[in-house]
Amino acid sequence: MALPLPRGLTPSEVSFLCEMELVTVTPRQRLEGLALLGGPIKPLNPPHRASLPLWLALLLKRQRRANILPPPWLSPHSLTAILDHETEYADAFSPPPRLPPQPSSNTLPFSPPFLLGATADAAPDALPYHWLELGEMLLEAASDDFEDPDNVRKLLRGLREVRMAKLRTNVEKLDAGGGVKMNGIGGLEVGEGRAFVTGVIDGLRKIAASQEQQRKDRDRYEGTGDNYDDDEMEMDT
Amino acid sequence: MSLPQQIRSRGAHAPGATFLAYTPNGKKLVTAGVDSFCRIFSTGSDEEPINVDDCQENNTAVVAGNGFFIAGSEDGTVSKYSLENNKFEEILVRTSLPVRDVALSPDGNWIAVASDELSVKVVNVKDMMQVRTLRNQPRGVKHVAFDRSGTRLAVSCTDGHIYMYSLDSDEPEMIRKVDDMIKSLDPETESSSKVLWHPDGRAFATPTAGREMQVMSTSDWERQRTFKTGHSADITAAAWSPNGAFLATTSSDLNLCLWDAKSQKLLKKYDDMKATILAMAWHPTENILSYTNAEGELYIHTDFVPGEHASSLQKSTQPAPFFHDPSEGRAGNVPAKVANGARLDLPERQARQRDGTPDSLDDLLGPAMDDDDDEDMGGFVVDDDGAGYAAVNGNGKRTSGHLSTLDNMDSKRRAYGQSFEPKTHEFFQPGSTPWRGNRRFLCSSLTGYVWTQSQEGGHHTVTVKFYDEQTHRNFHFTDPFLYDKACLNENGTLFSCQPNDGNTAMIYYRPHETWTSRTDWRTNLPSGESVTAIALSNSYVVVTTSTNYVRIYSLYGLPIRVYRQKASPAVTCAAWRDYILTVGNGPVGGDGRCQLLYTIENVKRDEVYQSEDIVALAPNSTLASVLFSEEGDPYIYDSTGVLLTLLHWRNSGQARWVPMLDTKCLSRLAGGAKDETYWPVAVGQDTDGKPHFHCMILKGQDKTPYWPVPPLSEFELEIPLSSAVDKKKEMEKDADAMEEDDEDPSKKGQSKQAKFEQELILSSTLHTQLASTLAHVRPSTIQKQALTELEVKIDRALLQLLGLECLAGEDRGMKALEIVTLMHDANGKMLDLAAKVAARYGRDVLGEKIRELAERKLVGLDAEDD
Repeated sequence: MALPLPRGLTPSEVSFLCEMELVTVTPRQRLEGLALLGGPIKPLNPPHRASLPLWLALLLKRQRRANILPPPWLSPHSLTAILDHETEYADAFSPPPRLPPQPSSNTLPFSPPFLLGATADAAPDALPYHWLELGEMLLEAASDDFEDPDNVRKLLRGLREVRMAKLRTNVEKLDAGGGVKMNGIGGLEVGEGRAFVTGVIDGLRKIAASQEQQRKDRDRYEGTGDNYDDDEMEMDT
Repeated sequence: MSLPQQIRSRGAHAPGATFLAYTPNGKKLVTAGVDSFCRIFSTGSDEEPINVDDCQENNTAVVAGNGFFIAGSEDGTVSKYSLENNKFEEILVRTSLPVRDVALSPDGNWIAVASDELSVKVVNVKDMMQVRTLRNQPRGVKHVAFDRSGTRLAVSCTDGHIYMYSLDSDEPEMIRKVDDMIKSLDPETESSSKVLWHPDGRAFATPTAGREMQVMSTSDWERQRTFKTGHSADITAAAWSPNGAFLATTSSDLNLCLWDAKSQKLLKKYDDMKATILAMAWHPTENILSYTNAEGELYIHTDFVPGEHASSLQKSTQPAPFFHDPSEGRAGNVPAKVANGARLDLPERQARQRDGTPDSLDDLLGPAMDDDDDEDMGGFVVDDDGAGYAAVNGNGKRTSGHLSTLDNMDSKRRAYGQSFEPKTHEFFQPGSTPWRGNRRFLCSSLTGYVWTQSQEGGHHTVTVKFYDEQTHRNFHFTDPFLYDKACLNENGTLFSCQPNDGNTAMIYYRPHETWTSRTDWRTNLPSGESVTAIALSNSYVVVTTSTNYVRIYSLYGLPIRVYRQKASPAVTCAAWRDYILTVGNGPVGGDGRCQLLYTIENVKRDEVYQSEDIVALAPNSTLASVLFSEEGDPYIYDSTGVLLTLLHWRNSGQARWVPMLDTKCLSRLAGGAKDETYWPVAVGQDTDGKPHFHCMILKGQDKTPYWPVPPLSEFELEIPLSSAVDKKKEMEKDADAMEEDDEDPSKKGQSKQAKFEQELILSSTLHTQLASTLAHVRPSTIQKQALTELEVKIDRALLQLLGLECLAGEDRGMKALEIVTLMHDANGKMLDLAAKVAARYGRDVLGEKIRELAERKLVGLDAEDD
C-alpha cells in the first residue's frame, strides 16, 4: 500500500458514502429534471417537496435554491427519547429503523444504505445507519432549517458520547469467543471504532497466541518433563 | 395642575425600604418598613397614624384585605394583623430565607409568598394548613401577582423568566414560562420585575430590560403595545389605575410618570422626587396615588391625575392596550355583523363592567359626594364576615358577586325572552387568520402567502412571499387602506379593504411583473357595501359583499357580471378558471343552524352547474375552508379536520360530497403522542400526478399558523376506512410479522388487504372525478393518459385483492368472482391475468368462471346488464 491509511473507511469516506442518502427538500425555484447515473431526478416545482440525494440537496442549499427538511428523528423530541433509551439500556444500542415490508414479487435487496432513512417520512424513533454524519452535515449546511439547531447539536453530541462509550466498554467482552451485539450501530461509528476494536482483538489474539505458544512450550516441556521427572525420580531414588 | 406643597411627606418609618397597601375599600392605608411597627393611615385625614407594634423588623412586603393586613419580613415570617383592634394575630407562613413579596388574591382568601427559597407558597389566609407549593422555577422569586380572577399567579423569578401558574385545581399547574420579558434581577435590588395584571384580565405589563413597560396578552402570549417610558434607570415600581385607564411608573432616576393606557402617551411627569419610590398604590376609587420611598417617607398624592384627564378615572374598566383587540371580531371584519344572532364566542371575552350613565347623579355631584359618603356613612355596612358584599365597585354600587346563584340570570332571561334565534355561519376568507399580536395572514396558497403587519401610526405593511423565488420576486408595500383580505395566484395578487372614514370599500388587483408594464387597478364598491369574501382565478375576480351581491370582474377590472346571491348572508367564495363557487347561509336545519348552500357556475358559458345545493357538514362542525384543487375540483375542509371533494359536480343534482382525507385518521397521529391540527392550504398534484393535501401543521392548541411560518406539509389523500389506532396496530403487526419471518400470514394478509382496499377506493374515486371532468371539457393527452393510468391502478388493486382471496381458500370464491367483475379491463389483459392468478392458486372452478366472464365481455354481454 502506497498510502499509510488505516484499514477500513476514513470519516471523510464514510460521509462521502452518506451523501447518496435521499433527503427531502422544499425547492425555492424551478429546476428541470436531471438524468443522473444514480437515477433520474424529477423536475423540482416549488413548493412541492422532492427527495434528492444529499450531495445535490447540499449544493442547492448552499446556492439558496432549496430548503432541506430535517428528517423527523433529528427533532429534539425524538433525539431526547433516543438518548433516554441509550442511557437506560447500557448493554445495547437503540434499535435501527424497522425494515419496510418486503415487496411481494421482485425482492430487491433492502439494506440500510438503500433505505429511505433521511427523508421527511422516515421513522421518527430510530437512528438510521448514517445518522451521525448526516446530522453533522445538515447542521453545518442547513442549520437555519432546524427548529432548534443548538439543542439538536447538543443531543447529537450526547448520543455520540454514550454510544462510543458503549462500544468501548463492550470490547471487554470480546475475550475468547465472546460476542458483542452491535445492532443499530452507525456507519461512522463502525469506522471510528474499527481501529480500536481491531487493535484490541489483535492484542487479545497476540496474548492468546503467546498463551498458546506457552502452552505448547509447556506441553513440550511437560512432555520432556516426564522424562525429566523420571530422571529426577530416579535421581531421588 | 397640582401644587407641590399639597403633597407633603409623612415620615412613616426610619430611612430604608418602605412598602404600602390600601385596604380594598380604600379607607385605610398600611405601611411597613424597617421599623418593628406598621402604620395605618386613614384616607382623607391628617391625623397621626395608628401604630401597630409587635411587628417584625425589616418588612419587605405588605398587603391588606378586609379587616386585616399581612406583612412579610426578611426574617422569613409572614404575619397577619387585625385592622379592627390593630393587633398581631398569627404567623401564617415561615420560610427559611427572606421573604421578598406577598400577594393577596382578589377574594382575600389566599396569599402567595415569594422568598429566596426555590418554591412559592400559596397559603389560605383563614386556614394556614391549606398550602399549595409552586416549584417550577429554578431560582428565588422576586415578585408574585394574582390576576383579577385569582385563578392565575404570575411568578417573576430572579432568572429573568415569568412563570405562570393556574390555580384552578387543587394541584397548581404551570401554564406558561414567559421568556424575554423581564430582566434577571438580584433579589435585593430596588428594581422591579413585577407582573402588573391589567384590570380587564386579558393582559399584563412588566418592566423590561429596556426600561419600558411591555404589555402581553394572556390568550395567545403575544407582545402587545409598549410604554416607552424614557426612564434613565431601572423601573422600581409601576401600577395600573383601578380601571386600567392609566399607568403610573417610576424609577430610580427620581421621575414619576403618568401614562394614558389607550394611547401610551405621557400625560404628566413629576420630576421632583426626593428619593427612589419603591412602592405605589392607587386609591381604589379616588384620584389618589400613594407611594413610599427608600427614605421611609409616605406621600399621599391627591389629584394625581391632572384635571383634564381625571374624568377617565371614573369610567368603567378600560380595555388593555392591544394591537388588535381580540373582542373586535373575527379577522378584523366589520363589527356591525354581530347582528342577527351571530354571537361571537370568544373565550377571552370577560364580563365588562357597565358604563356609567351619562349625566347621572354621581357625575353631576362629582366625587366630592363620595368623600362625604365615605366619611359619614361609609362604615354603615360593615363586612364583618368577609363575604364581600360591602365591597364597592367602580360605579359606587355594591357588587352582586356574593350572590352566586343568580349568575346565570342572563342566560335564563334569554331563554324566556326570545323564542328562537337561528345560528348563521359567519363569513370568512379562506386562508386568512385573525390578528395575533400585530400580524395576520391574509391568504396562503401553493404560490406563496400574504401577510400584513400593523405599524404605529395606523397603517399596515403588506408582504407577499413566493415559494418560487426565481419566477416571482417577493415584495412588500406600505398600506394606508388597511387591506384585510387577499388572494394570491401565479398571475397576480388581489386585495380588498373595508369602508372607513368616508371611503368606500375597495378592490385592488396587482398583477405580478410581466414583459409589459404592470397594469394594477383599483375599483370602489358603492358606499354602504362591505366586502365579505374575495376570490381570484386565472380569468376572473369574484367579490361577495355584505349586500349579498356577487360581483365578477375580469382580470383587467372590467365588471362582467353583478347578481344577488340567493343563499344569504354570503359566507365565502372560491374560483378556478371560469368556475365560481359561492357559499351562503340557507334555511335553518334541524339543529337550529343555517344550512350552508353552495352554487357552482361557469362564468364564460353562463351556465349554473349546481344551484343552492347543500354543503354537507358533520354535526356541530363548521366550514373551515373552500378551495379548488389544481385540477379544478371543488374541495372543502371542515372544522373536524375532514377534507371532502364534490363528485359529479358538473351534473345538476348529481353532486355528492366524498371524504378524501380525515386528518384525525392520519397514521402520524396514531401513537397519540402528537397533538396537532392542520391548516388547509391547497390540494395539488405532485410530479407523478398523485393528488396531495397541502397544509401547515399547527402544534398544540394553536388554531391558526403564526411566525415562524410553518413549512408546507403534504399528505397523500386517504379515504377514511379505518381509524388511526387500527392503522398503528397494523403497522406493528406488519413489523412483528417481518421480525418473525412471516409466521402469521393471515394477519399480514389483513393489513395488505386494507392497503389494497384503500388503493381501490381512492383510485376509483379519482377515476370518477377525472372521467366526469373529461366528459365536459376537451381532454388533453395528459388527462387521457392519467385516466388510463387510474384504470390500470384500479385493476391492479383488484388483482392483488383477488390474489389474497385465492390464497385465503376455496370458500372465498364468490368474493373473488365479485372482485373480477369489478375490473375495468382497460387493456383487455386483466381478465387473462385474473384467470392466471386463479390457476396459480389452483382454484380451477374460479378460473372457469373468469374465463366465462371474459367470453361474455368479448361478445358485448356486460355483466352489468343482468
